[in-house]
Amino acid sequence: MSKILRINTREKTYSFETPAEDIAGLGGRALTSKMILNEVPATSHPLSKYSKLIFAPGLLSGSPAANSGRLSVGGKSPLTGGIKESNSGGLVSQKLARLGIKALVLEDKPEDDRFSMVVIKKDRVEFLAADEYVGVCNSDMITKLWDRFGKRVATASIGVAGEQRLTSASIQFADPKGHPGRAAGRGGLGAVMGSKKIKAIVVDDKGTDRVPLHDPDAFKAANKKWVELLTSHPVSGQGLPAYGTAILVNVINEAGALPTKNFRTGRFENAQDISGETMAANIEKRSGVATEGCHPGCVIKCSQVYNDKDNNYLTSGFEYETIWAFGAHCLIKELDDIAMLDRLCDDLGLDTIETGVTMGIAMEGGIIPWGDGKAAIELLKKVGTGDPMGKIIGNGAAFTGQALGIDRVPVVKRQALPAYDPRAVKAVGVTYATTPMGADHTAGYGVCQNILGVGGSIDPLKKDNNVAISKTLQIATAAIDAAGLCLFVAFPVLDNPEGLQMIVDMINARYGLSLVVDDVTTLGISILRDELEFNRRAGFTPKDDRLPDMFKEPFAPHNTTWDFTDEELAEAVKF
Amino acid sequence: MGSVLFNAFSFLQKKLKAQDIPCVNAVLDLKDGQRVKDILDDLGIAPQDIEGVFVNGKIAPFETPLHDGDRIAALPPGTPGPYRLLLGLVSSPGKKSDKKKDLTK
Repeated sequence: MSKILRINTREKTYSFETPAEDIAGLGGRALTSKMILNEVPATSHPLSKYSKLIFAPGLLSGSPAANSGRLSVGGKSPLTGGIKESNSGGLVSQKLARLGIKALVLEDKPEDDRFSMVVIKKDRVEFLAADEYVGVCNSDMITKLWDRFGKRVATASIGVAGEQRLTSASIQFADPKGHPGRAAGRGGLGAVMGSKKIKAIVVDDKGTDRVPLHDPDAFKAANKKWVELLTSHPVSGQGLPAYGTAILVNVINEAGALPTKNFRTGRFENAQDISGETMAANIEKRSGVATEGCHPGCVIKCSQVYNDKDNNYLTSGFEYETIWAFGAHCLIKELDDIAMLDRLCDDLGLDTIETGVTMGIAMEGGIIPWGDGKAAIELLKKVGTGDPMGKIIGNGAAFTGQALGIDRVPVVKRQALPAYDPRAVKAVGVTYATTPMGADHTAGYGVCQNILGVGGSIDPLKKDNNVAISKTLQIATAAIDAAGLCLFVAFPVLDNPEGLQMIVDMINARYGLSLVVDDVTTLGISILRDELEFNRRAGFTPKDDRLPDMFKEPFAPHNTTWDFTDEELAEAVKF
Repeated sequence: MGSVLFNAFSFLQKKLKAQDIPCVNAVLDLKDGQRVKDILDDLGIAPQDIEGVFVNGKIAPFETPLHDGDRIAALPPGTPGPYRLLLGLVSSPGKKSDKKKDLTK
């Protein structure tokens, strides 16, 4: 049976334990959220010794199931003050699973300022001094760790933002090529890791056996159908591999939902310049890599390597939300400048959505001009230098807005809104307002109406049905996160009535269970209940489930407003 | 008479560019009574290359009559995002083909 690995960061000791009955069947987000609820006092400071940081592979991670290598990282967010699950690709999830580790828990905190790193191997866990790595950026960190431990190891590391415990700090993971392009970005969990003085975690699964399958034949049959489903669907089989998530720039702009100049209008006149189509053309011209997976076993491969004009590596995992945050939101139209900002975030260890939105707030406050990509790059470089402006920027949009005396700050629970305007796509607005995570598009990403039977056509510009849709998406997404699956599996699952059954079949064959499709719904609801309960204990009330006043303004081109009542939003948190 | 602003995205943009067909913020002449499908036919775009069409920022049927100054954009199959459903590209599970029939009839 898989174990819980607890690491005491003050004593530099570790222990393995058998999971208690109430968490034995959980994985991924279901496990991190349950453990945070059970073990972290909700009113404790996220950077204190009472706080914990938990890494949990999903239920299918480590198995041959396609697209099952996602990792959940959970904790109390220093950005929002609420519970947080931040989800990432990379190599850690599958290797932890192969080592039989169900969850890795960082506890307590050192009394001195010396950084360590944790190396997890088949037969032992080691603490090594990491003083020499303090201040090292994430890409150099991965290079050094791979030089030292071999290129087969998985890494999780923090940059200077995490070392300085800034509330936008991410945890970055090496992708299969050794780039720090994968991140547990949202919610500042890099600061929690920094507070525990852990610069990096290395996971080496050398010598381990394959993950045991209770019924290998049934698993193989279900996975075969699963792979066919993912590769034959036009979104997961064609659109995402060719253009990545940046394919959405033009689409969301056309829909009039691309927040531009700090959510003033829904169209950016230079959208084509920063589009997925332009990105793909540049990749082709500059000998980049058009399509690659964020973890072994991914068959969608929506990531890429984006080179500069001299054909040198610039960034990878160049996502729609990042391009929007530094692009349309800040009126920056040079895609190469945006790529450099993405690269800097990966290296400094910063969430690109939070930091991009923050850059727009800096423009709002007159620190740098709107649309000036070069000035944005120089401002971002101040993070980690000790410059007070860098400290302000690295603490996110709400903090920066406060520092600059700005009232136009697009946050919920102090977390910045992502790349879809809530007035033009109202269901996502309901999710922003009500998810326990703070404004987060991935909290309601999987469109799985068929799971829950919430039918009816949806008008994105009207309120009708959008609360129900948001709830459906939040439940489905929580369940997908628990399985360790990539959220993009939701597209083919939506279009195929057998899709969800395939997931259930794989989980059953892996563990010898008899789950049915309805159990997925039950699991999703139980996760949300745990998360809402933690936030309630932390002091959140219904008034925290609101969008800022700026969204009462009409939003061009459709001139819609955010018009949900308090009673309607209250329905969205009844699970 | 008048004009419309036309865009095509992702695979369709690449395909049309290769044929030198204007498809990025292209201003096209509009004849009286023309509908979305007439514009697409004039450009030689095959129905199977399109999953949905925006007219003035909303997904609309191919039969939609066009007016001077309208903005249209063609989406090929393969567009991801949470908005496949929310934008109306997909009506409800398992009914994608029905919806497509509605759009193209």
